[in-house]
Amino acid sequence: MLLNLKNIYKWYNVGGNRTFILKDINFEVQEGEFISIMGPSGSGKSTLLNIIGMLDEPNEGTYNFLHENVFKLKEKQRAQLYKQYIGFVFQQYHLIDELTVYENIETPLIYQDVKTSERKALVADMLDRFNIVGKKDLFPNQLSGGQQQLVGIARALIAKPKLILADEPTGNLNSKQGEEIMQLFKQLNTEGVTIIQVTHSEKNAAYSSHIVNLLDGVIKR
Amino acid sequence: MIKNYFKIAWRNLLKQKGLSFINVFGLSIGLACFSLFLLYAVNEFSFDRFHQNRNNVFRVVRWNKAIGNRPEGGDSYMPIPLGPAMKNDLPGVVNFVRLREGWGESFVKVNNSTIPLDVMFVDPQFFDVFSFKILMGDKHTALKDLRSIVITEDIAKKLFGETNVVGRVVEIKGDKTFEPFTITAVAENPPANSTISFKILANWAFMESNTETGKRNSTRWTASGYQTYVQLQAGSGLPNDAATLAAFRKKYYPNEAEELKKRAMWSGSESPISYRLQSISDMHTNRTIEGGLMPPISPKNIWILLAIAAGVLIIACINFTTLAIGRSASRAKEIGIRKVIGSDKRQLVAQFLIEALVLSGISAVIGFILAQLLLPYFNTLSGRELVFSYQQYPEMAWMMAGLVVLVGLLAGTYPALILSNFKPLEVLKSKVRVAGANLFTKSLVTVQFILSIGLIISTVVILQQIHFMQNQNPGFNKENIVMVNAESIDAKRIFPLFKQQMLAQPSVKAVAGTDIGLGAGSGWSVMDFEYEGKSKSVYEYSIDADYIPLMSMEMKAGRNFDAKIASDTITSVIVNEALVKDFGWTIENAVGRALKGYDEKFSPIVIGVVKDFNFRPLRESLKPQLFHQFPGSAPFKYFVKIEAGNPSATLAAMQKTWTSLEPNLPFQYDFLDESLNQFYKAESRLGNIIGWAGSISIFLACLGLFGLAALSTVNRTKEIGIRKVLGASASHITTLLSKDFLKLVLIAIAIASPIAWWLMHKWLQDFAFRISVEWWVFVFVGFIALLIALFTVSFQAIKSALANPVKSLRME
Repeated sequence: MLLNLKNIYKWYNVGGNRTFILKDINFEVQEGEFISIMGPSGSGKSTLLNIIGMLDEPNEGTYNFLHENVFKLKEKQRAQLYKQYIGFVFQQYHLIDELTVYENIETPLIYQDVKTSERKALVADMLDRFNIVGKKDLFPNQLSGGQQQLVGIARALIAKPKLILADEPTGNLNSKQGEEIMQLFKQLNTEGVTIIQVTHSEKNAAYSSHIVNLLDGVIKR
Repeated sequence: MIKNYFKIAWRNLLKQKGLSFINVFGLSIGLACFSLFLLYAVNEFSFDRFHQNRNNVFRVVRWNKAIGNRPEGGDSYMPIPLGPAMKNDLPGVVNFVRLREGWGESFVKVNNSTIPLDVMFVDPQFFDVFSFKILMGDKHTALKDLRSIVITEDIAKKLFGETNVVGRVVEIKGDKTFEPFTITAVAENPPANSTISFKILANWAFMESNTETGKRNSTRWTASGYQTYVQLQAGSGLPNDAATLAAFRKKYYPNEAEELKKRAMWSGSESPISYRLQSISDMHTNRTIEGGLMPPISPKNIWILLAIAAGVLIIACINFTTLAIGRSASRAKEIGIRKVIGSDKRQLVAQFLIEALVLSGISAVIGFILAQLLLPYFNTLSGRELVFSYQQYPEMAWMMAGLVVLVGLLAGTYPALILSNFKPLEVLKSKVRVAGANLFTKSLVTVQFILSIGLIISTVVILQQIHFMQNQNPGFNKENIVMVNAESIDAKRIFPLFKQQMLAQPSVKAVAGTDIGLGAGSGWSVMDFEYEGKSKSVYEYSIDADYIPLMSMEMKAGRNFDAKIASDTITSVIVNEALVKDFGWTIENAVGRALKGYDEKFSPIVIGVVKDFNFRPLRESLKPQLFHQFPGSAPFKYFVKIEAGNPSATLAAMQKTWTSLEPNLPFQYDFLDESLNQFYKAESRLGNIIGWAGSISIFLACLGLFGLAALSTVNRTKEIGIRKVLGASASHITTLLSKDFLKLVLIAIAIASPIAWWLMHKWLQDFAFRISVEWWVFVFVGFIALLIALFTVSFQAIKSALANPVKSLRME
């Protein structure tokens, strides 16, 4: 088992009323799964993904990641955990505009104190694999959306994570580009990477091995 | 990782060209300013430390306890026999050097042109005791011969156009005639941080054997006027051995205490006068000891100047901080991503600090170039000849490096902490806007304006005081008076001839003679005597009967001197109102009084009272003063009153007359009003420096305000767009955007005014004659500051108020 969530609640207090985003979520992910979280806007998909990614905290509940109780960890240890095991892919790509393709991909390694020579080799492999060697010195705004998302995925993969969290990875792409990205996810999954994606699209969800439907903060079976 | 940080820093710098420019430019100016002041301060505090023997060389000073109405204090004017006597009598004294400096200029003749130059007589061991460097010649044999001299490289170039001049002969005017001297060495110019300064050095022995005063004073213990330095054995306890020094003093002045007692000036059993040894590194900053050409400074003033410069630098740093926070919105995304892909807070802090350091490094380079370019102006402002020299001020190197780091940290720390604290999720998801100005940045901007407004108010007050001192009626008419310097000639013989010929000129109204001029550098003469059991100090001037009318001075009682009355040149004196008051008389009963105790042989009789006039700078209160025509004084200054208007023709005529009477010596003169204005050089200098600092700081503050206003309008683009769609006018938008900033300036005015008032009030206390600080100064400066700020802010506001709202809304 890679992770499990138990009795997760997340709410906001608005004018004395408690508005629930997530209500009693229980959820388990095995290594090697490819999960799609689906549901209408405002159903809590992204919040759930962010909690899994340790970017957000619930108001109640427990979360175990690789048998560690995440919310009992100190900030630093938690950062260590997700630095090592989790990669993020965003709908808006979220590349750093001031960095080239090469540097964007390299940055996570820098934060993990990987040596320069090793970094070079790893980034070169990644560029090669995604066929973007020729673009390595370009800045994000010189790339198309699909290319930017490729870079985003390459960056998420560079540190060899066990888990990829993708929030609407194809939301800003045309259908052809979107298909390519999903193919890539599929392939990564067969190579052993666990993937959790949030998506609106049935077509994208079809790539996954398991679908979780969320409605008003509750998982529908 | 570090390399990566630098890369990002550089790209961010290029990306935000406008803001980077404001930051770099502001910091460069701040750093240039500060490094100049730092150089000045380092120079002042390094005075006389370049001497290798600095720990063992001491200046002999005479320390007086408070006697009569004179406060406690010391001076460095010593009699000639003191040096040899100390070496002879006191164990531990291994060497001595005597200097005769500041006795006025001598005339130096080379190739038939005559130039007035300072000649300083020193003992030949001068170069053994002090570490002045010799360029040509041998320091051990220089000054050995009676008629040998050493000149500086500047003087060598001035006289001969080159420095290779050892062996050449120049003529220097002695008491009566020009005498030949041989140059035995050329010395490097004394460094800017030397109390002892010289242009030409001549052998002490020549002064003692070939000049009248030298011959007369060479064995006298009562004729002081020479500096004496002694070199002690390393580790000698003499400087702290008051008993030995007192015994030494007693040996040469055995009855001092008794004599002072007899004159009712002292009641103790031990003499109140003692010798002390002053470390040479103490000379420049100890203001309790008089003497020497280079007046000591008060370390307090240096700290004040440094504080002002630091203020300017802080204003520049604040710009960096506020702008960095102001544009944090645009960097929020980057920070969020970095955190998500694994950066921890520490690494982000490091990144932002390195950005600040890169910026301050670039600014330092530009600032240093700027400082180099500004150095000549700064030198005129500061009255020093400073150079950025690593050799001379090695400490400057690490100070500057430290400063760059400090500035980077000062400017970068707060933004780094703020930015690195962003929660990635909020930043990436909910588009937080960190507004252009939060409370902290607002406070910083207010601080900037407090500093600038305070400085400008101070400048205005200082300038007002200077203006007041220069234009206050001094009690005489200072306009159109030429003071001709006749100190080096046979003044008494030539004066009547000069006067007669000058009065023949229609443009000359009157000519008078006096022994001492007026104004800065004129010197003074004070007579101390005991009047009816009380000790009195009276300033005195020897004048002639034409002086008081020429100066348009007012007689309060009695009469002016009269050339026809014989006793006027023997016993008559004219006193001022301050003397009348000091002596307990009244204007009505003063005439006919005798100044008993003035002289053993006679008592001067008061024949008139002159209205008080400011013969001293206005920072001093009026002192008792008298005019006399006693025999024995000579008219060393000829006062010539000329027609108003262009003086050049009259001056040419004066020069011609001079040359016909004294063909060997150049004609030297000053205008009285200019000479009086020189009294206030220090104040003018302070006013200039603070004025500059004030202008620069308000400029920097506005630069920051400009950037902040720009950011604020960018951050509020959507709001402005909506308001315009809803029908807001351009003027409404402009007011909306400007209001916030102007409020800050108003708060700054309210805080700066009382502080500046208090500081200026304190500063003005040093002046006996002073202005009062007027309320309108604050209103005026506040109004100007507000106007400048309004101009700066509204520039941005108007720009955005006029922009097309559709465009700004579509962008959102």
